[in-house]
Amino acid sequence: MLGRGLKRKLSDYEESMAGLSSAFDSSRGLPYPLKRQLVLNMCLTKLQTYKMLVEPNLHRSVLIANTVRQIQEEMRQESNQQPVSICPGIAPASHSYTGLESPGISLQLPSGVGQQESHCCDLRSVEDPIENSLLIVSDDDMSSAISSILKDLDFVEDISPPTCLVPTGDDQPKFPENTGLKLEDDRQDLKGAECVFGSFEISNSTSYLKDLAIDDIFEDIDTSMYDSDFCCPPLMPPRSPSLATEEPLKTFPSCNSSSANNIQICRTDLSELDHIMEILVGS
Amino acid sequence: MGAILKPRTLPRLRAAPSRSRPRSRPRSRGSPRHGRSVSPPGPRAGTGRAGPGPGPAGPRERGAGRAAPAAAAGCGARRAGPGAGRFAPSVPPSLAHRPFSSAVVARAAGDGGGSSSEVQWCFLQVKGAIDEDVAEADIISTVEFNYTGDLLATGDKGGRVVIFQREQETKSRPLSRGEYNVYSTFQSHEPEFDYLKSLEIEEKINKIRWLPQQNAAHFLLSTNDKTIKLWKISERDKRAEGYNLKDEDGRLREPFRVTELRVPTLKPMDLMVEASPRRTFANAHTYHINSISVNSDYATYLSADDLRINLWHLEVTNRSFNIVDIKPANMEELTEVITAAEFHPHHCNVFVYSSSKGTIRLCDMRSAALCDQHSKFFEEPEDPSSRSFFSEIISSISDVKFSHSGRYMMTRDYLSVKVWDINMENRPVETYQVHEYLRSKLCSLYENDCIFDKFECCWNGSDSTIMTGSYNNFFRTFERNMPRDTTLEASRESSKPRAILKPRKVCTTGKRKKDEITVDSLDFNKKILHTAWHPMENIIAVAATNNLYLFQEKVN
Repeated sequence: MLGRGLKRKLSDYEESMAGLSSAFDSSRGLPYPLKRQLVLNMCLTKLQTYKMLVEPNLHRSVLIANTVRQIQEEMRQESNQQPVSICPGIAPASHSYTGLESPGISLQLPSGVGQQESHCCDLRSVEDPIENSLLIVSDDDMSSAISSILKDLDFVEDISPPTCLVPTGDDQPKFPENTGLKLEDDRQDLKGAECVFGSFEISNSTSYLKDLAIDDIFEDIDTSMYDSDFCCPPLMPPRSPSLATEEPLKTFPSCNSSSANNIQICRTDLSELDHIMEILVGS
Repeated sequence: MGAILKPRTLPRLRAAPSRSRPRSRPRSRGSPRHGRSVSPPGPRAGTGRAGPGPGPAGPRERGAGRAAPAAAAGCGARRAGPGAGRFAPSVPPSLAHRPFSSAVVARAAGDGGGSSSEVQWCFLQVKGAIDEDVAEADIISTVEFNYTGDLLATGDKGGRVVIFQREQETKSRPLSRGEYNVYSTFQSHEPEFDYLKSLEIEEKINKIRWLPQQNAAHFLLSTNDKTIKLWKISERDKRAEGYNLKDEDGRLREPFRVTELRVPTLKPMDLMVEASPRRTFANAHTYHINSISVNSDYATYLSADDLRINLWHLEVTNRSFNIVDIKPANMEELTEVITAAEFHPHHCNVFVYSSSKGTIRLCDMRSAALCDQHSKFFEEPEDPSSRSFFSEIISSISDVKFSHSGRYMMTRDYLSVKVWDINMENRPVETYQVHEYLRSKLCSLYENDCIFDKFECCWNGSDSTIMTGSYNNFFRTFERNMPRDTTLEASRESSKPRAILKPRKVCTTGKRKKDEITVDSLDFNKKILHTAWHPMENIIAVAATNNLYLFQEKVN
């Protein structure tokens, strides 16, 4: 499963990070973008680790998330000032900068068309510094860093209700694979993102299901044999006719439901993961 | 008080690798079944919003002018005047229950006057096991003196509370005056299990706060992540003998065997200290409780978690008022959490809370029922030259403490301690660097999570000196008037009786002098997060992992 593979890479990744952090502290020679990238990677690694914990620490997660936002904002402003990509290797397709509105990282996605474009911009602005550090970090680390960064970047972008992303998912104009991966990850991270902070509640409030980190609990479970019977996901059009009609209603996160429905929702997400894998491998 | 027959050392409990701890642990005679505790109804029936202002706090303001007279000329009395609540002492606490008096107090007062000679600390005692491998449950998580300083409470990660009592001066043991010995030990919190999220709720004691003493019994509040408990610690030195219906063994007598009636008599017995839970305040916090603070009306207290602050009445366990709520409607918008909160020592309507962004908000409960709008906002503008990726993380305030006078408050962030005048919001009046040499190591400290360590800080009785902990079992004191700062170490090596502590120094430049320690050789696992200062004298308690060190001012 994708989850397991990612974990193994993360542990190697962490070891290489340990050496780099002392390099960060001691050496003055590290270029600023690399330092920034290093810190960003460490932050994302930590967030990943915390997501896997049963009981993550809200205080720490907020601090780390703020650091990530700050770094992203810096990167975004830099890329705004330098419209030409730093690395000539990347062929910049026609940009459609909508002029990223507010300086602060807006957590509410602008609705409508502008949203898709800002996604593309974000992708662009993030990839440049990543490509820069390709020179220094190994390929293995890079791929895991990219996947983790792309996966997690959006959790701070967050995330309006699921329906907003559906139109963007459907039109994928210029950037087939990467954007597809990213937007698929968006949907997956939609719930994961909500739940970085949402999963902290130690409560039995009725809306706990909305906050529950559904993805994280069931990420690693291999449920390929159950794929045929998943129910309607809240994000994608209903696929399976084999379920009872009341189940689609039950699976909406805003309703109360039992843990059985959690599993069904996660099976859906895992099928999305399969979809992603197909995109990466097949096409 | 008579002789106390209690073991002199901290009882060593088995390390529990799994969470299911065996029950057959020595408990003091106040297990939950013993006491009369009010259990709250199940789910959060009680956390409603307050009506027009919390009643119990009352509009009565307690000015510093009504401070306990004469008791401590230099020391601001911690609590002033008679209180409104049940737990309010009838006599100002600094005068009550103090068999020895003016000599000690006068000396403390003298210190408050700004003596020019530096305080020299000498070792008094150390409590705790010496073993190299420390059981996680034995790690001390909070330390607090009571109002008179005669009792010192510690809480640990295993949910236990150990109370030490200061020895009285006796002719037979003249040298032992000032020593603290175990008075009571009890299990305050047990690990709980949240079945809904399959989460275990830690039994670690996050904070202990004493209530002022009103009668012969002592009361304290202890809290873990979710539940606050009010404990009563009382002594029993008499027992009744000669019951009619019970044997001496306690077995019921057959009614036909009772041939005559007699009046039970009270006989003296060995002193026994009982701890019984009197109130349990539960189910009011969704997030982890980080602070509790008793109000100066001695009837209410606040409890703060990451996003909310609740106001409780000590008598009422099934309801609390939510007075601060910073949870955003959308959790993804969350950028700031509450890290500490405290009531003003004299104004029962004023409290402050600190945040993870390095800001402090002062709120007045008279202005609104829900104090989301602060009355004062304290923030120091950031120094752009020292900006780094970790600036926000190291600005997160880990502790906030009012001075005894109530005029100042002190905040501790990762690298420094700041003293604020509550009348000036735009910057602190004093800033002390605790371990500035760590600024160049922030990335490594971030990587090993040390950057998230929450250090506490404390004032001395006269507000002239502040103390906080650091790494390598170092702790620092800062004398405000001089200004002068000292670094000391809590270690077994310097633990000879009445041995004077030698100041330590961390080498920040390339050349290491003799007796200096380089930054790289600091042990970051030995951190002093919790310290406490006696309210009137120069006695300090320093918690170093599982050991509690007591140091006293050198007496000639």
